[in-house]
Amino acid sequence: MPMPQLLAGALELALNKVLALDPNSQKRLAELDGKRMRIKLQEMPWPLTFVFSSRIDVLMDQEQPVDCAMALSLSHLNEMQDPANISALIQDKKLSLNGDMHTAQSFAALMKELDIDWEEHISRYTGDVIAHESVRLVKNIHQRAKSHFLQLGQIIKDGALQEKQLVPHPLAIEDFSQEVNRLRADTARFEARLNQLEQRAKR
Amino acid sequence: MNQQSDTNQTHFGYKTVDKDSKASMVAGVFHSVAAKYDLMNDLLSMGIHRIWKRFTIDCSGVRAGHRVLDLAGGTGDLAAKFSRLVGEKGQVILADINDSMLKVGRDKLRDKGIVGNVDYVQANAECLPFPDNHFDLITIAFGLRNVTDKDKALASMFRVLKPGGRLLVLEFSKPEIEALSKAYDLYSFHVLPKVGQLVVGDAESYQYLAESIRMHPDQDTLKGMMEDVGFEQVTYHNLTGGIVALHRGFKF
Ligand SMILES: C[S@@+](CC[C@H](N)C(=O)[O-])C[C@H]1O[C@@H](n2cnc3c(N)ncnc32)[C@H](O)[C@@H]1O
Repeated sequence: MPMPQLLAGALELALNKVLALDPNSQKRLAELDGKRMRIKLQEMPWPLTFVFSSRIDVLMDQEQPVDCAMALSLSHLNEMQDPANISALIQDKKLSLNGDMHTAQSFAALMKELDIDWEEHISRYTGDVIAHESVRLVKNIHQRAKSHFLQLGQIIKDGALQEKQLVPHPLAIEDFSQEVNRLRADTARFEARLNQLEQRAKR
Repeated sequence: MNQQSDTNQTHFGYKTVDKDSKASMVAGVFHSVAAKYDLMNDLLSMGIHRIWKRFTIDCSGVRAGHRVLDLAGGTGDLAAKFSRLVGEKGQVILADINDSMLKVGRDKLRDKGIVGNVDYVQANAECLPFPDNHFDLITIAFGLRNVTDKDKALASMFRVLKPGGRLLVLEFSKPEIEALSKAYDLYSFHVLPKVGQLVVGDAESYQYLAESIRMHPDQDTLKGMMEDVGFEQVTYHNLTGGIVALHRGFKF
Protein backbone atom coordinates (compact mmCIF):
# COMPACT_ATOMS: atom_id res chain seq x y z
CA MET A 1 0.00 0.00 0.00
CA PRO A 2 1.52 3.35 -0.93
CA MET A 3 2.22 4.92 2.46
CA PRO A 4 2.98 8.45 1.21
CA GLN A 5 -0.53 8.75 -0.19
CA LEU A 6 -1.98 7.46 3.05
CA LEU A 7 -0.17 10.13 5.02
CA ALA A 8 -1.10 12.87 2.53
CA GLY A 9 -4.72 11.80 2.77
CA ALA A 10 -4.64 11.91 6.55
CA LEU A 11 -2.97 15.31 6.66
CA GLU A 12 -5.37 16.73 4.11
CA LEU A 13 -8.37 15.51 6.02
CA ALA A 14 -6.98 16.91 9.25
CA LEU A 15 -6.03 20.32 7.85
CA ASN A 16 -9.40 20.82 6.25
CA LYS A 17 -11.19 19.75 9.41
CA VAL A 18 -9.32 22.44 11.32
CA LEU A 19 -9.96 25.00 8.57
CA ALA A 20 -13.66 24.30 8.77
CA LEU A 21 -13.64 24.95 12.51
CA ASP A 22 -12.03 28.37 12.18
CA PRO A 23 -14.12 30.91 10.25
CA ASN A 24 -11.33 33.51 10.34
CA SER A 25 -9.02 31.20 8.48
CA GLN A 26 -10.94 31.70 5.23
CA LYS A 27 -9.55 35.22 4.83
CA ARG A 28 -6.00 33.96 5.27
CA LEU A 29 -6.65 31.06 2.95
CA ALA A 30 -7.97 33.46 0.31
CA GLU A 31 -4.56 35.22 0.28
CA LEU A 32 -3.01 31.96 -0.80
CA ASP A 33 -5.62 31.11 -3.43
CA GLY A 34 -4.00 29.43 -6.43
CA LYS A 35 -0.59 29.10 -4.77
CA ARG A 36 1.44 25.95 -4.35
CA MET A 37 3.97 25.28 -1.68
CA ARG A 38 6.30 22.37 -1.09
CA ILE A 39 7.70 21.42 2.28
CA LYS A 40 10.47 18.92 2.71
CA LEU A 41 10.70 17.74 6.29
CA GLN A 42 13.98 16.13 7.26
CA GLU A 43 12.09 13.40 9.06
CA MET A 44 10.12 12.38 5.99
CA PRO A 45 11.38 10.77 2.82
CA TRP A 46 8.82 12.51 0.62
CA PRO A 47 8.11 16.22 0.31
CA LEU A 48 4.57 17.42 0.84
CA THR A 49 2.99 19.78 -1.68
CA PHE A 50 0.17 22.01 -0.50
CA VAL A 51 -2.22 23.45 -3.07
CA PHE A 52 -4.45 26.26 -1.86
CA SER A 53 -7.97 26.97 -3.06
CA SER A 54 -11.17 27.08 -1.05
CA ARG A 55 -9.47 24.29 0.87
CA ILE A 56 -6.05 22.70 1.04
CA ASP A 57 -5.07 19.75 -1.09
CA VAL A 58 -2.01 17.79 -0.07
CA LEU A 59 -0.10 16.09 -2.88
CA MET A 60 2.98 13.95 -3.06
CA ASP A 61 3.76 15.37 -6.47
CA GLN A 62 7.44 16.22 -6.83
CA GLU A 63 7.36 17.18 -10.45
CA GLN A 64 5.45 20.41 -10.91
CA PRO A 65 6.88 23.84 -10.16
CA VAL A 66 5.72 25.51 -6.95
CA ASP A 67 5.63 29.12 -5.82
CA CYS A 68 7.70 28.39 -2.79
CA ALA A 69 9.73 25.44 -1.51
CA MET A 70 10.93 25.02 2.05
CA ALA A 71 13.10 22.48 3.77
CA LEU A 72 13.32 22.16 7.52
CA SER A 73 12.95 19.72 10.37
CA LEU A 74 9.64 18.94 11.97
CA SER A 75 10.81 20.49 15.24
CA HIS A 76 11.19 23.88 13.56
CA LEU A 77 7.84 23.76 11.89
CA ASN A 78 6.11 25.19 14.92
CA GLU A 79 8.54 28.13 15.10
CA MET A 80 8.01 28.81 11.44
CA GLN A 81 4.37 29.50 12.08
CA ASP A 82 5.22 33.00 13.19
CA PRO A 83 5.97 34.96 10.00
CA ALA A 84 8.33 37.12 12.04
CA ASN A 85 10.54 34.11 12.74
CA ILE A 86 11.14 33.17 9.14
CA SER A 87 14.15 35.40 8.49
CA ALA A 88 15.81 34.32 11.72
CA LEU A 89 15.29 30.65 10.89
CA ILE A 90 16.83 31.18 7.48
CA GLN A 91 19.79 33.00 8.99
CA ASP A 92 20.32 30.20 11.51
CA LYS A 93 20.23 27.76 8.58
CA LYS A 94 17.31 25.98 10.14
CA LEU A 95 15.12 26.72 7.18
CA SER A 96 16.00 26.82 3.52
CA LEU A 97 13.60 28.69 1.33
CA ASN A 98 13.35 28.83 -2.42
CA GLY A 99 10.89 31.03 -4.23
CA ASP A 100 8.31 33.50 -3.13
CA MET A 101 8.82 34.69 0.44
CA HIS A 102 5.34 36.17 0.51
CA THR A 103 3.74 32.75 0.01
CA ALA A 104 5.79 31.38 2.88
CA GLN A 105 4.68 34.21 5.12
CA SER A 106 1.03 33.82 4.21
CA PHE A 107 1.27 30.13 4.89
CA ALA A 108 2.91 30.80 8.25
CA ALA A 109 0.18 33.31 9.05
CA LEU A 110 -2.50 30.80 8.15
CA MET A 111 -0.91 28.15 10.35
CA LYS A 112 -0.66 30.65 13.17
CA GLU A 113 -4.29 31.57 12.74
CA LEU A 114 -5.23 27.92 12.86
CA ASP A 115 -2.91 27.54 15.81
CA ILE A 116 -1.71 24.20 14.65
CA ASP A 117 0.80 22.40 16.77
CA TRP A 118 2.09 20.16 14.03
CA GLU A 119 3.75 17.52 16.09
CA GLU A 120 0.93 17.34 18.54
CA HIS A 121 -1.41 17.52 15.62
CA ILE A 122 0.17 14.75 13.64
CA SER A 123 0.10 12.47 16.62
CA ARG A 124 -3.48 13.41 17.41
CA TYR A 125 -4.70 12.72 13.93
CA THR A 126 -2.64 9.66 13.48
CA GLY A 127 -4.46 8.37 16.52
CA ASP A 128 -7.57 9.01 14.53
CA VAL A 129 -7.04 8.77 10.84
CA ILE A 130 -3.89 6.86 10.12
CA ALA A 131 -4.54 4.36 12.84
CA HIS A 132 -8.01 4.02 11.51
CA GLU A 133 -7.10 3.82 7.86
CA SER A 134 -3.91 1.84 8.00
CA VAL A 135 -3.05 0.01 11.17
CA ARG A 136 -6.50 -1.15 11.98
CA LEU A 137 -7.39 -1.66 8.35
CA VAL A 138 -4.42 -3.86 7.71
CA LYS A 139 -5.01 -5.87 10.85
CA ASN A 140 -8.60 -6.24 9.85
CA ILE A 141 -7.74 -7.43 6.38
CA HIS A 142 -5.83 -10.26 7.91
CA GLN A 143 -8.70 -11.15 10.19
CA ARG A 144 -11.24 -10.79 7.44
CA ALA A 145 -9.21 -12.78 4.98
CA LYS A 146 -8.95 -15.52 7.54
CA SER A 147 -12.63 -15.58 8.33
CA HIS A 148 -13.59 -15.42 4.66
CA PHE A 149 -11.45 -18.42 4.01
CA LEU A 150 -12.91 -20.22 6.99
CA GLN A 151 -16.41 -19.43 5.81
CA LEU A 152 -15.61 -20.40 2.28
CA GLY A 153 -14.00 -23.57 3.52
CA GLN A 154 -17.21 -24.37 5.35
CA ILE A 155 -19.38 -23.65 2.34
CA ILE A 156 -17.23 -25.82 0.17
CA LYS A 157 -17.28 -28.62 2.72
CA ASP A 158 -21.02 -28.35 2.96
CA GLY A 159 -21.08 -29.14 -0.70
CA ALA A 160 -22.82 -25.92 -1.63
CA LEU A 161 -19.99 -25.23 -4.02
CA GLN A 162 -18.66 -28.14 -5.95
CA GLU A 163 -16.25 -26.59 -8.41
CA LYS A 164 -12.91 -27.92 -7.47
CA GLN A 165 -10.74 -25.05 -8.63
CA LEU A 166 -12.47 -22.77 -6.16
CA VAL A 167 -10.82 -24.36 -3.16
CA PRO A 168 -7.86 -22.19 -2.22
CA HIS A 169 -4.66 -24.13 -2.05
CA PRO A 170 -3.24 -23.99 1.49
CA LEU A 171 -0.09 -22.50 0.00
CA ALA A 172 -2.12 -19.71 -1.53
CA ILE A 173 -3.55 -18.82 1.83
CA GLU A 174 -0.13 -19.05 3.41
CA ASP A 175 1.30 -16.73 0.77
CA PHE A 176 -1.50 -14.26 1.08
CA SER A 177 -1.04 -14.17 4.84
CA GLN A 178 2.63 -13.47 4.36
CA GLU A 179 1.80 -10.57 2.08
CA VAL A 180 -0.51 -9.23 4.72
CA ASN A 181 2.13 -9.74 7.38
CA ARG A 182 4.62 -7.76 5.36
CA LEU A 183 2.14 -4.96 5.06
CA ARG A 184 1.51 -5.19 8.76
CA ALA A 185 5.21 -4.96 9.53
CA ASP A 186 5.52 -1.91 7.29
CA THR A 187 2.65 -0.28 9.06
CA ALA A 188 4.07 -1.14 12.45
CA ARG A 189 7.37 0.51 11.51
CA PHE A 190 5.48 3.55 10.39
CA GLU A 191 3.56 3.59 13.64
CA ALA A 192 6.78 3.33 15.65
CA ARG A 193 8.20 6.26 13.71
CA LEU A 194 5.16 8.33 14.53
CA ASN A 195 5.38 7.37 18.17
CA GLN A 196 8.96 8.57 18.17
CA LEU A 197 7.86 11.90 16.76
CA GLU A 198 5.17 12.08 19.37
CA GLN A 199 7.66 11.44 22.16
CA ARG A 200 9.95 14.12 20.79
CA ALA A 201 7.06 16.56 20.67
CA LYS A 202 6.28 15.98 24.35
CA ARG A 203 9.85 16.74 25.38
CA MET B 1 -8.47 -8.48 -27.28
CA ASN B 2 -7.39 -7.24 -30.71
CA GLN B 3 -8.85 -10.16 -32.54
CA GLN B 4 -12.29 -9.14 -31.33
CA SER B 5 -12.30 -6.32 -33.82
CA ASP B 6 -12.62 -8.86 -36.63
CA THR B 7 -15.92 -10.25 -35.44
CA ASN B 8 -19.24 -8.90 -34.29
CA GLN B 9 -18.90 -10.52 -30.91
CA THR B 10 -17.34 -9.14 -27.79
CA HIS B 11 -17.08 -10.00 -24.11
CA PHE B 12 -19.60 -9.01 -21.51
CA GLY B 13 -17.81 -10.35 -18.50
CA TYR B 14 -17.40 -14.01 -19.43
CA LYS B 15 -20.40 -14.03 -21.72
CA THR B 16 -19.87 -13.40 -25.40
CA VAL B 17 -22.42 -10.98 -26.76
CA ASP B 18 -23.05 -8.92 -29.86
CA LYS B 19 -20.95 -5.78 -29.93
CA ASP B 20 -24.02 -3.63 -30.33
CA SER B 21 -25.62 -4.95 -27.19
CA LYS B 22 -22.57 -4.66 -24.96
CA ALA B 23 -22.85 -0.90 -24.57
CA SER B 24 -26.43 -1.17 -23.37
CA MET B 25 -25.64 -4.07 -21.08
CA VAL B 26 -22.80 -2.08 -19.51
CA ALA B 27 -25.16 0.84 -19.17
CA GLY B 28 -27.61 -1.41 -17.35
CA VAL B 29 -24.95 -2.40 -14.88
CA PHE B 30 -24.09 1.17 -14.00
CA HIS B 31 -27.69 2.39 -13.97
CA SER B 32 -28.43 -0.23 -11.39
CA VAL B 33 -25.51 0.65 -9.13
CA ALA B 34 -25.18 4.42 -9.71
CA ALA B 35 -26.90 5.60 -6.55
CA LYS B 36 -24.86 3.52 -4.18
CA TYR B 37 -21.70 3.45 -6.25
CA ASP B 38 -19.50 5.40 -3.82
CA LEU B 39 -20.56 3.38 -0.83
CA MET B 40 -19.85 0.17 -2.71
CA ASN B 41 -16.46 1.44 -3.77
CA ASP B 42 -15.53 2.04 -0.18
CA LEU B 43 -16.89 -1.26 1.02
CA LEU B 44 -15.42 -3.43 -1.69
CA SER B 45 -11.96 -2.00 -1.79
CA MET B 46 -12.05 -1.40 1.98
CA GLY B 47 -11.27 2.24 1.29
CA ILE B 48 -8.12 1.54 -0.66
CA HIS B 49 -9.52 2.98 -3.89
CA ARG B 50 -9.04 6.42 -2.37
CA ILE B 51 -5.33 5.75 -2.05
CA TRP B 52 -5.16 4.44 -5.65
CA LYS B 53 -6.84 7.63 -6.85
CA ARG B 54 -4.51 9.80 -4.80
CA PHE B 55 -1.57 8.05 -6.38
CA THR B 56 -3.06 8.76 -9.81
CA ILE B 57 -3.33 12.45 -9.03
CA ASP B 58 0.23 12.53 -7.73
CA CYS B 59 1.36 11.14 -11.09
CA SER B 60 -0.77 13.52 -13.14
CA GLY B 61 1.52 16.55 -13.17
CA VAL B 62 -1.59 18.69 -13.31
CA ARG B 63 -1.28 22.38 -12.61
CA ALA B 64 -3.15 25.66 -12.70
CA GLY B 65 -4.64 26.46 -16.10
CA HIS B 66 -4.63 22.88 -17.37
CA ARG B 67 -7.51 21.37 -19.28
CA VAL B 68 -8.35 17.93 -17.93
CA LEU B 69 -10.66 15.20 -19.21
CA ASP B 70 -11.83 12.73 -16.55
CA LEU B 71 -13.18 10.04 -18.84
CA ALA B 72 -15.62 7.43 -17.57
CA GLY B 73 -15.49 9.78 -14.62
CA GLY B 74 -18.65 8.37 -13.03
CA THR B 75 -19.29 9.95 -9.68
CA GLY B 76 -16.48 12.46 -10.06
CA ASP B 77 -13.90 11.58 -7.39
CA LEU B 78 -10.98 12.59 -9.59
CA ALA B 79 -12.78 15.52 -11.22
CA ALA B 80 -13.44 17.13 -7.83
CA LYS B 81 -9.77 17.16 -6.99
CA PHE B 82 -8.72 18.28 -10.46
CA SER B 83 -11.16 21.16 -10.31
CA ARG B 84 -9.22 22.66 -7.39
CA LEU B 85 -5.82 21.87 -8.85
CA VAL B 86 -6.42 23.54 -12.24
CA GLY B 87 -8.00 26.61 -10.65
CA GLU B 88 -10.26 29.20 -12.26
CA LYS B 89 -8.26 29.42 -15.46
CA GLY B 90 -8.30 25.69 -15.95
CA GLN B 91 -11.12 23.41 -17.03
CA VAL B 92 -12.24 19.93 -16.07
CA ILE B 93 -14.59 17.86 -18.17
CA LEU B 94 -16.29 14.96 -16.50
CA ALA B 95 -17.36 12.63 -19.29
CA ASP B 96 -19.28 9.41 -18.98
CA ILE B 97 -21.41 7.32 -21.29
CA ASN B 98 -24.04 6.89 -18.62
CA ASP B 99 -26.30 9.77 -17.65
CA SER B 100 -27.24 8.26 -14.26
CA MET B 101 -23.60 8.19 -13.23
CA LEU B 102 -23.08 11.67 -14.64
CA LYS B 103 -26.04 12.96 -12.67
CA VAL B 104 -24.80 11.44 -9.40
CA GLY B 105 -21.40 13.00 -10.14
CA ARG B 106 -22.84 16.42 -10.89
CA ASP B 107 -24.98 16.44 -7.75
CA LYS B 108 -22.06 15.33 -5.63
CA LEU B 109 -19.70 17.99 -6.96
CA ARG B 110 -22.34 20.71 -6.58
CA ASP B 111 -22.94 19.68 -3.00
CA LYS B 112 -19.24 20.09 -2.40
CA GLY B 113 -19.41 23.60 -3.82
CA ILE B 114 -17.47 22.65 -6.91
CA VAL B 115 -18.88 24.76 -9.74
CA GLY B 116 -17.50 27.02 -12.42
CA ASN B 117 -14.67 25.11 -13.99
CA VAL B 118 -16.29 21.67 -14.32
CA ASP B 119 -18.41 20.66 -17.31
CA TYR B 120 -20.38 17.46 -17.73
CA VAL B 121 -20.49 15.69 -21.05
CA GLN B 122 -22.21 12.45 -21.95
CA ALA B 123 -19.77 10.77 -24.28
CA ASN B 124 -18.55 7.40 -25.47
CA ALA B 125 -14.82 6.91 -25.00
CA GLU B 126 -14.62 5.32 -28.43
CA CYS B 127 -15.58 8.50 -30.27
CA LEU B 128 -14.84 11.49 -28.12
CA PRO B 129 -16.71 14.65 -29.14
CA PHE B 130 -13.73 16.97 -28.65
CA PRO B 131 -11.30 18.70 -31.03
CA ASP B 132 -7.83 17.32 -31.74
CA ASN B 133 -4.98 18.33 -29.40
CA HIS B 134 -7.35 19.67 -26.76
CA PHE B 135 -6.42 18.31 -23.32
CA ASP B 136 -3.30 18.50 -21.15
CA LEU B 137 -4.34 15.42 -19.23
CA ILE B 138 -6.79 12.56 -19.65
CA THR B 139 -7.59 10.16 -16.85
CA ILE B 140 -9.71 7.05 -17.09
CA ALA B 141 -10.12 5.31 -13.75
CA PHE B 142 -11.78 1.90 -13.64
CA GLY B 143 -13.44 2.70 -16.95
CA LEU B 144 -11.41 1.19 -19.75
CA ARG B 145 -12.39 -2.38 -18.98
CA ASN B 146 -16.03 -1.49 -19.65
CA VAL B 147 -15.31 -0.08 -23.07
CA THR B 148 -16.20 -2.36 -25.98
CA ASP B 149 -13.43 -1.41 -28.42
CA LYS B 150 -10.48 -0.46 -26.24
CA ASP B 151 -8.10 0.18 -29.13
CA LYS B 152 -10.54 2.59 -30.68
CA ALA B 153 -11.01 4.34 -27.34
CA LEU B 154 -7.27 4.68 -26.75
CA ALA B 155 -6.82 6.10 -30.25
CA SER B 156 -9.61 8.56 -29.61
CA MET B 157 -7.93 9.67 -26.37
CA PHE B 158 -4.63 10.05 -28.22
CA ARG B 159 -6.31 12.28 -30.79
CA VAL B 160 -7.82 14.74 -28.28
CA LEU B 161 -4.66 14.95 -26.16
CA LYS B 162 -2.32 17.89 -26.72
CA PRO B 163 1.26 17.18 -27.72
CA GLY B 164 3.11 17.05 -24.40
CA GLY B 165 -0.03 15.84 -22.67
CA ARG B 166 -0.42 12.56 -20.85
CA LEU B 167 -2.92 9.78 -20.37
CA LEU B 168 -3.34 7.95 -17.07
CA VAL B 169 -5.21 4.66 -17.02
CA LEU B 170 -6.08 3.34 -13.56
CA GLU B 171 -7.52 -0.13 -13.85
CA PHE B 172 -7.76 -3.52 -12.23
CA SER B 173 -4.95 -5.65 -13.52
CA LYS B 174 -3.13 -8.90 -12.97
CA PRO B 175 -1.83 -9.53 -9.43
CA GLU B 176 1.93 -10.08 -9.49
CA ILE B 177 1.89 -13.16 -7.32
CA GLU B 178 -0.06 -16.20 -8.41
CA ALA B 179 -1.19 -16.84 -4.84
CA LEU B 180 -2.47 -13.34 -4.39
CA SER B 181 -4.22 -13.75 -7.68
CA LYS B 182 -6.06 -16.84 -6.42
CA ALA B 183 -6.99 -15.23 -3.13
CA TYR B 184 -8.22 -12.23 -5.02
CA ASP B 185 -10.28 -14.42 -7.35
CA LEU B 186 -11.97 -15.89 -4.34
CA TYR B 187 -12.66 -12.45 -3.00
CA SER B 188 -14.05 -11.07 -6.21
CA PHE B 189 -16.15 -14.03 -7.26
CA HIS B 190 -17.58 -14.87 -3.87
CA VAL B 191 -17.39 -11.92 -1.54
CA LEU B 192 -17.97 -9.21 -4.12
CA PRO B 193 -21.28 -10.42 -5.58
CA LYS B 194 -22.55 -11.21 -2.07
CA VAL B 195 -21.84 -7.74 -0.78
CA GLY B 196 -23.35 -6.43 -4.02
CA GLN B 197 -26.48 -8.40 -3.28
CA LEU B 198 -26.64 -7.16 0.32
CA VAL B 199 -26.03 -3.47 -0.34
CA VAL B 200 -27.59 -2.76 -3.70
CA GLY B 201 -29.64 -5.91 -4.09
CA ASP B 202 -27.84 -6.67 -7.30
CA ALA B 203 -25.41 -9.57 -7.28
CA GLU B 204 -25.35 -9.84 -11.07
CA SER B 205 -23.79 -6.45 -11.61
CA TYR B 206 -21.00 -7.32 -9.27
CA GLN B 207 -20.59 -10.70 -10.87
CA TYR B 208 -20.11 -8.73 -14.10
CA LEU B 209 -17.55 -6.57 -12.31
CA ALA B 210 -15.55 -9.58 -11.21
CA GLU B 211 -15.66 -11.09 -14.69
CA SER B 212 -14.80 -7.89 -16.50
CA ILE B 213 -11.74 -7.53 -14.28
CA ARG B 214 -10.57 -10.98 -15.35
CA MET B 215 -11.13 -10.29 -19.03
CA HIS B 216 -9.19 -7.04 -18.96
CA PRO B 217 -5.74 -7.04 -20.60
CA ASP B 218 -2.81 -7.50 -18.21
CA GLN B 219 -0.15 -4.86 -17.57
CA ASP B 220 2.09 -5.55 -20.56
CA THR B 221 -0.76 -6.07 -22.99
CA LEU B 222 -2.29 -2.74 -22.09
CA LYS B 223 1.12 -1.07 -22.36
CA GLY B 224 1.44 -2.49 -25.87
CA MET B 225 -2.06 -1.33 -26.80
CA MET B 226 -1.19 2.20 -25.71
CA GLU B 227 2.00 2.15 -27.73
CA ASP B 228 0.15 0.82 -30.77
CA VAL B 229 -2.06 3.90 -30.97
CA GLY B 230 0.92 6.26 -30.63
CA PHE B 231 1.59 6.82 -26.93
CA GLU B 232 5.25 7.16 -25.99
CA GLN B 233 7.26 6.56 -22.83
CA VAL B 234 4.52 4.24 -21.63
CA THR B 235 5.15 2.89 -18.13
CA TYR B 236 3.00 1.24 -15.50
CA HIS B 237 3.09 1.04 -11.76
CA ASN B 238 1.52 -1.83 -9.85
CA LEU B 239 -0.51 -0.94 -6.80
CA THR B 240 -1.55 -3.32 -4.04
CA GLY B 241 0.37 -6.19 -5.56
CA GLY B 242 -0.88 -5.55 -9.09
CA ILE B 243 -4.57 -5.87 -8.20
CA VAL B 244 -4.60 -2.42 -9.73
CA ALA B 245 -2.11 -0.83 -12.11
CA LEU B 246 -1.60 2.75 -13.18
CA HIS B 247 -0.45 3.11 -16.79
CA ARG B 248 0.97 6.37 -18.01
CA GLY B 249 1.74 7.42 -21.57
CA PHE B 250 2.65 10.65 -23.32
CA LYS B 251 1.80 12.17 -26.67
CA PHE B 252 4.68 14.09 -28.21
C1 LIG C 1 -16.39 1.71 -12.41
S1 LIG C 1 -16.96 3.26 -13.00
C2 LIG C 1 -15.62 4.33 -12.62
C3 LIG C 1 -16.03 5.68 -12.16
C4 LIG C 1 -14.92 6.62 -11.66
N1 LIG C 1 -13.93 6.89 -12.70
C5 LIG C 1 -14.26 6.06 -10.43
O1 LIG C 1 -13.10 5.70 -10.51
O2 LIG C 1 -14.90 5.98 -9.39
C6 LIG C 1 -16.92 3.01 -14.71
C7 LIG C 1 -17.61 4.10 -15.51
O3 LIG C 1 -17.32 3.91 -16.90
C8 LIG C 1 -18.44 4.35 -17.64
N2 LIG C 1 -18.32 3.81 -19.01
C9 LIG C 1 -18.51 2.54 -19.42
N3 LIG C 1 -18.31 2.43 -20.75
C10 LIG C 1 -17.99 3.67 -21.19
C11 LIG C 1 -17.67 4.22 -22.48
N4 LIG C 1 -17.65 3.44 -23.58
N5 LIG C 1 -17.40 5.54 -22.57
C12 LIG C 1 -17.42 6.33 -21.48
N6 LIG C 1 -17.70 5.87 -20.24
C13 LIG C 1 -17.99 4.57 -20.09
C14 LIG C 1 -19.60 3.84 -16.82
O4 LIG C 1 -20.79 4.50 -17.12
C15 LIG C 1 -19.11 4.10 -15.40
O5 LIG C 1 -19.54 5.34 -14.92
